[in-house]
Amino acid sequence: MSTLTPPVIRERKRGGGPQNRDSLWAALPWVGPVLLLIFGVVLFPAAYMIYSSTRRISQAGTNVEGVGFENFATVFADPNLPRVLLNTFVWVIVVVSVTVVLSLLLANFLNKPFPGRTLVRMAVIVPWAASVVMTTTVFYYGLDRDYGIMNSFLVDIGLLDSTYGFTKNVATALGAAIVVGIFVSIPFTTYTLLAGLQAVPSDALEAAKMDGAGPVRTYFSVVLPQLRGALAVAVLINVINVFNNLPILRIMTGSIPGYSADTLMTYIFKVLQFDRRLDIASALSVVNFAVVILIVAVYVKVVKPMKET
Amino acid sequence: MSVSAPAKAAIQPVRQNRVRKYGPDGISGRRLGLRIAVGVIIALVFLTPYLIMLVGSLKTRPEILRVPPRYFPQDGLQWGNYASMWSTPETPLPFNLISTLIISIFATLLVLLVATPAAYYTARFRFPGKIAFLFLVIVTQMLQPAVLTAGLFRQMLVLDINDTWLAMILINAAFNLSFALWIMHSFFAGIPKEIDEAAQLDGAGRLKVLFTVNLPLVWPGIVTAIIFTFVSSWNEFAASLVIMSTAENQPLSVALTKFIGQYATSWQYVFGISIVAIIPVIILFALIEKRLIGGLTAGAVK
Amino acid sequence: MKSRLRKGLVAAVAAGTLMVTSCGFGGGGSEAEGEGGDTTIDMLVPSYSDNTKALWEGVVEEFEAANDGVTVNLQIESWENLESVLQTKIQSGEAPDIYNGGAFSAFAAEGLLYPAEDIASEDIIGDFQESFVENESFEGTQYGLPLLASARALFYNKDLMEEAGVAEPPKTWDELYDAAKKITDTGTPGYGMPLGSEEAQGESLIWFAGNGGGFGDESEITVNTPENVEAAEFMKKMITDGVTQPDPGATQRTPMINVFAQGKIGMVYALPQTVGQIDKENPDLNYGVANVPTNTGEPATLGVADRLMAFKNDDDKQEAITQFMDFFFETGTYVPWVEAEGFLPTTKSGAEEMASNEVLKPFLEMLPDAQFYPTSNPAWNATDGAFKSLMGQLEDQDAKTVLNQIQAKADAAG
Repeated sequence: MSTLTPPVIRERKRGGGPQNRDSLWAALPWVGPVLLLIFGVVLFPAAYMIYSSTRRISQAGTNVEGVGFENFATVFADPNLPRVLLNTFVWVIVVVSVTVVLSLLLANFLNKPFPGRTLVRMAVIVPWAASVVMTTTVFYYGLDRDYGIMNSFLVDIGLLDSTYGFTKNVATALGAAIVVGIFVSIPFTTYTLLAGLQAVPSDALEAAKMDGAGPVRTYFSVVLPQLRGALAVAVLINVINVFNNLPILRIMTGSIPGYSADTLMTYIFKVLQFDRRLDIASALSVVNFAVVILIVAVYVKVVKPMKET
Repeated sequence: MSVSAPAKAAIQPVRQNRVRKYGPDGISGRRLGLRIAVGVIIALVFLTPYLIMLVGSLKTRPEILRVPPRYFPQDGLQWGNYASMWSTPETPLPFNLISTLIISIFATLLVLLVATPAAYYTARFRFPGKIAFLFLVIVTQMLQPAVLTAGLFRQMLVLDINDTWLAMILINAAFNLSFALWIMHSFFAGIPKEIDEAAQLDGAGRLKVLFTVNLPLVWPGIVTAIIFTFVSSWNEFAASLVIMSTAENQPLSVALTKFIGQYATSWQYVFGISIVAIIPVIILFALIEKRLIGGLTAGAVK
Repeated sequence: MKSRLRKGLVAAVAAGTLMVTSCGFGGGGSEAEGEGGDTTIDMLVPSYSDNTKALWEGVVEEFEAANDGVTVNLQIESWENLESVLQTKIQSGEAPDIYNGGAFSAFAAEGLLYPAEDIASEDIIGDFQESFVENESFEGTQYGLPLLASARALFYNKDLMEEAGVAEPPKTWDELYDAAKKITDTGTPGYGMPLGSEEAQGESLIWFAGNGGGFGDESEITVNTPENVEAAEFMKKMITDGVTQPDPGATQRTPMINVFAQGKIGMVYALPQTVGQIDKENPDLNYGVANVPTNTGEPATLGVADRLMAFKNDDDKQEAITQFMDFFFETGTYVPWVEAEGFLPTTKSGAEEMASNEVLKPFLEMLPDAQFYPTSNPAWNATDGAFKSLMGQLEDQDAKTVLNQIQAKADAAG
């Protein structure tokens, strides 16, 4: 990621210098409403989740007694955990990286003028506008061995000899989930990058052209560095959202027995839905939360998306 | 490669020309044709699942469950499904649509109102605890309502706003703040500071600088934030399911599940409503899409 | 400490709320609270069919007209979401007054439910058929009011059977295996076995019951018994020999029954509703309904009952709840309701009234030999979940291993 920060940008003066240092009181009117909304709405349920993870909660939902870290001991002793974590990381890394590469290409293309561009842009936004649950459902039924239109299409064009149960086997179901994950993540990522492309100063582009740089070199030395801010935020939000995504995996891998296709989120869901262990599910959610915080903290430290000098 | 001010002035008009014209003078016809072809393919790829959905919504119930499936229904397209779905026994759909609209619009407005000043301020000024503040904001994005429903339900009970639009507006706004703030922050940070300084020399206060000078320059960021917030409020499910208990108050995402019976599901309605639910977002997008191209360049020309 | 934290929080949120409301926007449609002696009953029920909402609304309307001062607040959710909504409500001390669901003993064990005698008159309780009442009791007290029932039967495609040269519907496992094999040889899956998360527990109990096994009783959950293991081994043999549909471990019941309705599977276990469903979706299907084949040919099947139960929230609601139950279970209200949903009645008077119903007749006759889920055991909920998430592994694990895993989950919950 450090290659995204060539000296060109550094020379441009931007952001607050030391002379702009305010006191906390001066900052409050600007950032106070955000804090109020966050503390007002998010703090209690988050604290409640952590609290629940240290309790024993009955099958019915009654809060029985405090058990300290016993639920966490159960979670860490769970033989399914390594597989679930491995699946989670594969899921996040593959979906986010493929999404980012495809979105960069797509944003670049949608930034070029051609007749009908607005219509293509609107088509790209549709998967974002549609509910993820419904998009996934269409894929799920489309890939069904018996009813599936996509499945019978693959047979009709000769790619398959007979319809195949994509969502019934671990590898193909995870693969299909990853495809859907990428499909629904691309619009948001593309738009963030497309917005970022508008901020690329035309003078820099022209200067590169005058220097005799080809389009590829211009892209890597001028455009990409300018996209750094938008890209950094897009990747960050994608990592978090993909990590926490439940509906895609729940639908695509939901009919597979056992836990071999589960990620942390679907595992939490199963513990809640089938084992009815609210306490264990809370402990798992806390672990899930800690893992995301850790990833984001490392990311923020390395990529510095909030840096402006 | 750094460009001096005069050079910049000289280059500007040239670029303007190229953007406006893509006819035979600017780009060769073959290249343009290629672009259109690629554009059509891209549009098809992204629309296919929704075309399947659309065709599904126009089938009869027996047709939709046919084995093996037919690409197009034999007994005609059932456009009547789009009329009958508004008065099904399962859910009061017109109310659900209104609920969803109100919740999403106000959640989006609230986010803009709260996040814009904060994004500008954190991009421009330094204050103690700024990094901690930005990190705190991103933490809310990591906590999805899905794992917090029990606490949210309890909190809204205590506040006595359970089963109200207000509860869902607050929840959607709070959980979508982070993206809006971060993306606008990155755009504000990209605006050269000299612009502010010039305005401040003219005696404008910080708020005025934000609204008159900076805001027009970050439209692409604002547009992205609006769509992001609106779309995720529009499709929010987990919190709405437990907090909105009256059928009339429930958003479309929850209303959809009412068509899923124990032994049979009215897929034609589920698909039809999903198609209808996409339309408002597309309208919103069509309304603000121009701003996406405007943005920085428009501001720089002025 | 906790309450101080909460007070602070409430203040902060209230301030936030105030700020938002002062921007000129208040909340929408808040529910009407009972005023001046009026009672509001909150009722949470699942959706059985696209009729469910209208049927309950009709009942509620008539009830409210007949009982001044009592309002019923009806909330209907899909089966998939029903229990998570309920769990959240209970956790926050906001349980519905009347709830329609499957398992009840976990709630009864914690003293959350009214005993049946406190929420329905003697006449009503005395009218329930004894075979159902047994499953409504926990530690000697009846809590649930059985609402409706269904039994499973073998649905077979006559055309496919004829084509494969099978003359009679099978009565024993061996005959079933034979028939399934012959049908499969003609190119259509012979037997549909849905061991996916939707209904694995149902399919399993049909087979276990057919070998004299079961899931246990009020005091003990028994999954890995020799009878059950033997039954599971036979199921696995059907899978391994390829006489079922592909991927039975990941097959959900509802879509699979649809495939049967489309004539693409030879035999499945299905329920009374399936008859109406086939009428609607593929009325030309030439099929028959027969008893469930068992190991020895002795009759046995799975029976399922759902129930109404009442949570203790506010003492002055008990009377209103009783009024409602008495009103609902009266033959004039109950029979049309249960008939419209296509289920079997649980009351003696209802059974008499509906004895002439041709569709339900074969299922009514099977009820005496039906095995029910051990709903009176507090560990049943977790056992049910374990079957749903683990039984499908039968496809690639050995029968005993799978049942041991399920037993372990049940024991952990007990």
